[in-house]
Amino acid sequence: MNSLPGGISPPGGRTYDPNDPNIKAMNAMMESCFGKSAIAGVMGFGMGGLFGIFMASMSYDTPFHTAGGPGGPVKPVAELPLREQLKVGFRDMGSRSYSTAKNFGKVGLLFSGIECGIEGFRAKNDLANGAAAGCLTGGILARSGGPTAVAGGCAAFAAFSAAIDVWLRQPKEE
Amino acid sequence: MSFFGLGRPQPTSAEKVAAVEAEMKLLTEMVNRLTRACQQKCVPTDYREAELNKGESVCLDRCAAKFFDVHLKVSEQLQQESQKRGGGAGFGFGG
Repeated sequence: MNSLPGGISPPGGRTYDPNDPNIKAMNAMMESCFGKSAIAGVMGFGMGGLFGIFMASMSYDTPFHTAGGPGGPVKPVAELPLREQLKVGFRDMGSRSYSTAKNFGKVGLLFSGIECGIEGFRAKNDLANGAAAGCLTGGILARSGGPTAVAGGCAAFAAFSAAIDVWLRQPKEE
Repeated sequence: MSFFGLGRPQPTSAEKVAAVEAEMKLLTEMVNRLTRACQQKCVPTDYREAELNKGESVCLDRCAAKFFDVHLKVSEQLQQESQKRGGGAGFGFGG
């Protein structure tokens, strides 16, 4: 019922037999909550890196002077040789991009894992899963800011996630 | 088949075939009922995508497990009832 009799091969590729135990194991791992959250974390990391590089170019708080050594002279960056200037610039961009990537990766990992867990627990697929997962993710990410920040993060993230879900679930106009 | 419990005569080939056919019918009906009940319960009809998502898969797993559990328990109860009512007289269970 699952594989076509005779193994019709897709043009230009090996036959994809869904009953192959390796393929089944791979599919099962990717559909598990752990796999989903790992994939979301990695993709969030990548997207966050790109976004961070872009935002680094628009940042207004890059220092104009190098941080001098203990008690040493402080030089303006524009006076360094070109290679040094580039190194300073790339290091700053890299650190900003890495921190944004980490943040996005954390968000993706947490949200995806929590939503998958809630959906597996409720055995239902509706908007409440995304909203609850968003609330928990926002709360966890804001946990160091005190209860008000946690509540605010929960509400904001839940609203954001619900809005995205509503938009994604709209029936396609065909 | 009126020697239930004592030394039965060997069932003929036609009777064996009839027994297997009856069992097949029961099994097919059980599978159809399971499919219909669990689909009604677990798969909403808006059909936004072709593959079962996680919620639906978990729901179907649980529905099938519960169906078989219920079926087993009800069959056991039915067997006990029919044995209580009298072994040979009430043998057929509902056809």
